[in-house]
Amino acid sequence: MSEGFIQFRSVSKSFGGVAALSGVTLSIAQGECHGLMGENGAGKSTLGKVLAGIHRPDEGGLSIDGKPQMFSSPRDALAAGVAMVHQELAFCPDLSVAENLCLGRIPRKWGMVDRASMESRAKKLLAAIGVDLDVHATMRELSTAQEQLVQIAAALGTEPRILIFDEPTSSLSQPEAERLFELVESLKARGLTIIYVSHRMPELFRLCDRISVLRDGRYAGELAGGEMTESAVVRLMIGRDLDHYIPEHLSSAAGEPVLTVRHLSSPGRFEDMSFEVRAGEIVGFAGLVGAGRSEIARALFGLDPRATGEVTIKGERLKVGSIQESLKAGISLVPEDRKRQGCVLGMACSENISMAVLPDLSRRGLLDRSSERSLAGKSFADLSIKAASIEAPVQSLSGGNQQKVVLAKWLARKGRVLIVDEPTRGVDVGAKAAIHALVDRLACEGFAILLISSELPELVHLSSRVIVMREGRQVGELSREAVTQESVLRLMSGVESSPARP
Amino acid sequence: MNATAPVSPSSKRRLRMQEFGLAGVVLLLAIILGTYGWHDAAPGRPNTFLNPDNLIDGIATPMSYYAIMAIGLTLVIITGGIDISVGAVMALSALGGAAVLQTLPEHAPAIQVLPIAILVPLLIGTLCGAVNGGLIVGLRLHPFIVTLGTMSIFRGLANVLPAEKTLPSAGRQLPKAFTLDFMRIEIGGLQPMPLIIMLIFVAFGWFYLRMLVAGRETYAIGGNEEAARFSGMRVGWIKLRTYTLAGLAAGLAGMVSLGRFGTASTSTGSGYELTVIASAVVGGASLLGGRGTAIGALLGTLVIALIENGIVILRLAQEYRLVIIGLAIIIAVSLDRLGSMLRNR
Repeated sequence: MSEGFIQFRSVSKSFGGVAALSGVTLSIAQGECHGLMGENGAGKSTLGKVLAGIHRPDEGGLSIDGKPQMFSSPRDALAAGVAMVHQELAFCPDLSVAENLCLGRIPRKWGMVDRASMESRAKKLLAAIGVDLDVHATMRELSTAQEQLVQIAAALGTEPRILIFDEPTSSLSQPEAERLFELVESLKARGLTIIYVSHRMPELFRLCDRISVLRDGRYAGELAGGEMTESAVVRLMIGRDLDHYIPEHLSSAAGEPVLTVRHLSSPGRFEDMSFEVRAGEIVGFAGLVGAGRSEIARALFGLDPRATGEVTIKGERLKVGSIQESLKAGISLVPEDRKRQGCVLGMACSENISMAVLPDLSRRGLLDRSSERSLAGKSFADLSIKAASIEAPVQSLSGGNQQKVVLAKWLARKGRVLIVDEPTRGVDVGAKAAIHALVDRLACEGFAILLISSELPELVHLSSRVIVMREGRQVGELSREAVTQESVLRLMSGVESSPARP
Repeated sequence: MNATAPVSPSSKRRLRMQEFGLAGVVLLLAIILGTYGWHDAAPGRPNTFLNPDNLIDGIATPMSYYAIMAIGLTLVIITGGIDISVGAVMALSALGGAAVLQTLPEHAPAIQVLPIAILVPLLIGTLCGAVNGGLIVGLRLHPFIVTLGTMSIFRGLANVLPAEKTLPSAGRQLPKAFTLDFMRIEIGGLQPMPLIIMLIFVAFGWFYLRMLVAGRETYAIGGNEEAARFSGMRVGWIKLRTYTLAGLAAGLAGMVSLGRFGTASTSTGSGYELTVIASAVVGGASLLGGRGTAIGALLGTLVIALIENGIVILRLAQEYRLVIIGLAIIIAVSLDRLGSMLRNR
């Protein structure tokens, strides 16, 4: 083992003014399996992508085997022996497995596709990782796990020295993940250097020789061998001192129950959720991506026709599965994907703010533009939205102000239950604080609030209680006193399961 | 901290600028044609372009069918959809109107004729539009595919249902109360009825899009259907309504054409869909949805109508008509694209 086979030297990278990596220095030895860990947005995937040539660092650089490298495309990285298995699988879904495995260098004979050699090459690549698949099948017919195996086979086909896995188990079932682990171990035994990006502790502990932890785009520390314990990792992941800008949730004694959910299930998404949210309460939902949190929000908002269960609002039974019914009952949703679901980017702020209350702003279908303008003016003042004017298109606003416009849209409706899904995603620090204060204020005004967030500090500081989910199930509930980033993290990553894992 | 003030102009102003730009193009074409028409006129004769007969009979009347349908289609395009069946719907409406009207005596009173003459084509158009909307919303099919199918079906019905290729049948005539007294009514020696109906429909389109909640919903769906749904809008209903209105517009165009020519044939409105789409697009409607206005649709149609008329006035070879119009469409849309790129910088 030679130390510093891969060497990152103060690598910095920012996207649109937001720093994803700042000055990360890290060295990885040849033949080791090195874990990269951190919260969502900590920069672990970005670091992997810098090595794979997908992102070009703004500052700093890297060297492999002593040679400085400056990749400007994944092609360069491949030439230097670096391959990556991506989180989102990139394939042509209607082409066959064989065609996908040979994509970019399809064997030719007389200018035509040489099917025989293409298929034999594909079979050889799959056999190399011990996978038996029909190479004629289209990618669309495969399961996610099978797709991933094809991707690994394709990556190994480039004969890399270094293989990067980016959250490989995020969409795999337990037995599928188990097969993947065995494969990773066998690759390591072949002498490949493996970089394994994940935020699931058990698998990192099992596979990795060392783990580097990133926090807010910075290198937070490294653990090897026996030091790799969950408490050590959690300490490195959390030890941040930025927490103070999140206000402690102030709203005091919670009022009467507003939203009561009993045995809410949706096949394949989440099962048997039962909880209650009182007026003035902020109930946090924690869990890994894919744990079923956003799916619950969608179901409550009437977007999931397969959802079953009993939902009552202020004692009145809600018919689950209809947006109109959910809106009438006073449920509002600030969705996870602001640009796709939250606002109409090309329309004016005022038009976005009035979108959910048009019937109230009109008489016999005739729009009352002056009350629309005054509503927008009031929202701008109330939420201190910064824009050129109330008629500026939403796309000209910063992320934080866009999010405020979405919030304003729902506040205009004066609902009773507000679901906020990742309210501060893609929002800068200042706007984050304003949105936190706003959510808190709304709770004080008597809203029952469901807060879905992947940012632990946000959950811990704003929530009255936190419900933790894992793989579509409710695995625990932490009272305000018991909520710490550590306790939530343990429950959601399943290190310390309260109820036994199925 | 994000203190950067957004600099992009308001969406409203952008739309207005586009309409001004189109109005400028119209003015430019009019000046060119007017100057030529002045030079070209025989001594003592009026300007060959700028004279009431050319303006009404040469431009306004032929463009009225296109403009009415372009406004209907603009509504559809704003939602992000498309309707290529409008020409066939126009034919079916005109033929339906003719089939009913020819059963009335030639000198039937206006009170009896006009309601039928107006309502039958409108009803047929509305029904066809509702079929389009119902299929698109109900079966979740792409509007292009659905209206490609219904275009063929409606045109096929227009071929099959009437006893003859042209209605009214040989030897019969449509009631004069409709064709002569109403549609060719003379005001100051001119026959401006198609122009009047077109302007009324433009006003309706403007009112619908600008003043009604329904109009706002149309823009919202085209801008971001998912966000509109998340805001509680009934996306399916709104789309159904929009396609129905596009059908109604085609029915109205059928009515105008029937009254103007006194006949309808199986080939009425054939190929109109492409000119109508071109008019809407030149008028600023974005095929991606979310953008377009009624005034824009009118101006877009006017630009194309002026070019068509210009080919006649300038005595250019008619064979180049399609080439010139095709070029005009591409130039208009590229200029618009260029303009918005410059503004967004």
